[in-house]
Amino acid sequence: MFPLKPRIISFFMIGLSLMLTSCFKDVDFEQAQDIKLAPDLQVDLLFYELTENDFLDSETNTYSPVIRDTVRLEFLDDEYIQDGLMYAEFRFRHENSFPNKIKSKIRFLDNNGREQFNVNYDIPGGSVASPSIVDTVHTMAGSEIVRVRRSIQMVVELEMLGGGKDIEGGLDFSSKGLFKFEF
Amino acid sequence: MRNRILILFAFVSVLCYGQNRPLLYNVDDLPQALLQNPGTRIDFTKHIGVPFFSQIHLFAGSTGVTAHDIFSDENSNVNQRVQNVMDRITSGDYFSVNEQLEVLSFGWKMGSRGYFSAGVYQELDIFAYFPKDPALLAFEGNAEYIGKSFSFSDANFTGEVLTVYHAGYNYKVDPKLSVGGRVKLYSGIFNAESTQNDGFFSTVETPGGPNFYRHELDDLDVLVNTSGYASLKEQDNMTVDQAVAELLSRSFFGQNVGLGIDLGFNYRVTEQFAVNASIQDLGLMFHKNDTENYHYFGSYSTNGLEPLFPELDGNERTIPYWEVFEEQLDANLKEETTYNEYNTWRPLKFNASFEFGTGKSILPCDYLISKKPRFMNLFGMLVSGVNRSKGPTYGVTAYWDRKVTDNLRFRLAYGVDDFSLTKLGLMVSSRFKNFNIYLAANDIIGYTNLAKANSASLQFGMQFIFKDL
Repeated sequence: MFPLKPRIISFFMIGLSLMLTSCFKDVDFEQAQDIKLAPDLQVDLLFYELTENDFLDSETNTYSPVIRDTVRLEFLDDEYIQDGLMYAEFRFRHENSFPNKIKSKIRFLDNNGREQFNVNYDIPGGSVASPSIVDTVHTMAGSEIVRVRRSIQMVVELEMLGGGKDIEGGLDFSSKGLFKFEF
Repeated sequence: MRNRILILFAFVSVLCYGQNRPLLYNVDDLPQALLQNPGTRIDFTKHIGVPFFSQIHLFAGSTGVTAHDIFSDENSNVNQRVQNVMDRITSGDYFSVNEQLEVLSFGWKMGSRGYFSAGVYQELDIFAYFPKDPALLAFEGNAEYIGKSFSFSDANFTGEVLTVYHAGYNYKVDPKLSVGGRVKLYSGIFNAESTQNDGFFSTVETPGGPNFYRHELDDLDVLVNTSGYASLKEQDNMTVDQAVAELLSRSFFGQNVGLGIDLGFNYRVTEQFAVNASIQDLGLMFHKNDTENYHYFGSYSTNGLEPLFPELDGNERTIPYWEVFEEQLDANLKEETTYNEYNTWRPLKFNASFEFGTGKSILPCDYLISKKPRFMNLFGMLVSGVNRSKGPTYGVTAYWDRKVTDNLRFRLAYGVDDFSLTKLGLMVSSRFKNFNIYLAANDIIGYTNLAKANSASLQFGMQFIFKDL
């Protein structure tokens, strides 16, 4: 018999045995399905710095104790929010140097204007030298998280109690959200 | 002097971790040694490879992580293990896959001192640094990293598939010195590269500022060049099989070409001691056809959205803050798709070794034989490396090469590189009459369980080699 053949076969056998013995051991690739991306994102939301002029009508200069505005937060409608948002922690901070108490209403609405959740509180009056500070954390988790997923508009409304044309001071607002995801 | 050499050796050994392919280097009776060093000493007068089987080379490696690090079956907390790997792995760690398939290989002695060799091989080379910062941002977010700058320069990869046509000449200048060169024509099938990225994303606290943080994207400049991809993308509903078939159809005459050279020498300092070195793939690819470039650039920062409390009538819509924000984003962060030509350097490989022979072979007592006796035991040390976009990767290998008979040879090697500090390799080459078959496997310890191996490589081939005594 031509002895070349056994030689090739023996090389193939060595190669084959190398392949066969070189298996993947002590691993479970099924766990790939359990791998989760779990980023926690800190995101600035709204901010404003109001003065007494913001409570006065620009044409008539009459006092307007209630002012409001609506901001669409389109990112709340994004797929990654809808699919992966598990926890949201909102932080709202007001710094009031008006001497008057101010009622703050922060509402989150869906696309049709239906309220999903709100955060309302009073901001005591302060002064320029010693502004009053209200720092509020509002957590949405568990079954409540769907309310955040449904939201797309953030309405901020302020009502100054008392006061009048001659008010002086300022109101600063900062806000952020901590959003925890699981994908 | 001896101490200096020891210090130099220790220095080189510590620094030179990296990728290497040492098992076929300096194997003077394998034509594949000419691909590693065109100036190497050879011990045959003619060769012709079995088409598609004269060399099958496979290599895969990862410096920072093994499959076992992630998918260990010891406990079920896979996400904790991913976290541990993320903490440990750096932007200098990399993943590398290299495959070569020799389609044709042949050569013959020219005159008394020359040897001509030529052939065709197909190569796939993928090299990607771990994109640490973008991955950290995707896996963990910015919450725990306030103040940290996430760098987009961590995204750094190259990938190419090409066919190489080559012709080389090995010339024995005198009994001590042999030199050689090889010219290569590259035929590009597919290329994608992104190696010069820049820019940072950060979230910084702004005490006294208008909001809690400021989100900044500074000097973003991310460019991805591709060739051979746009035409695949344009064909709607193309399946993976069809895409592979399309790529294979370009195998022999791709749309883009390049030129390169290999150079090398071998010098016998004494009868027993030789030094040699080579460079491979000093060359450029010119991507002129079927190119598509994706460019993302600009800077932007934001503290959030600022409502202005406009005085509105009941039916008036408020200011579209989000649309304004998106317009600002689009104006400052731009995305462009262009079709510009570009050039890429081929990954330059370099090798340098010394070799010491003992145990002279006994030649037949025949005055017609001009051949010099060979050494049956060869001890050598090889430093080899590949130039990559963030700098060269190195490896150092010491080997014992044993010619058992004129027809059977093996090489045992121990190497150190980025992948492993215990890289054991074995090469066996056997010849019957003029038929040669060889098998080389590096990182043999890793083969016992590939899940725990950082790298593995295998070369296998068969060919006809003719020797004149």
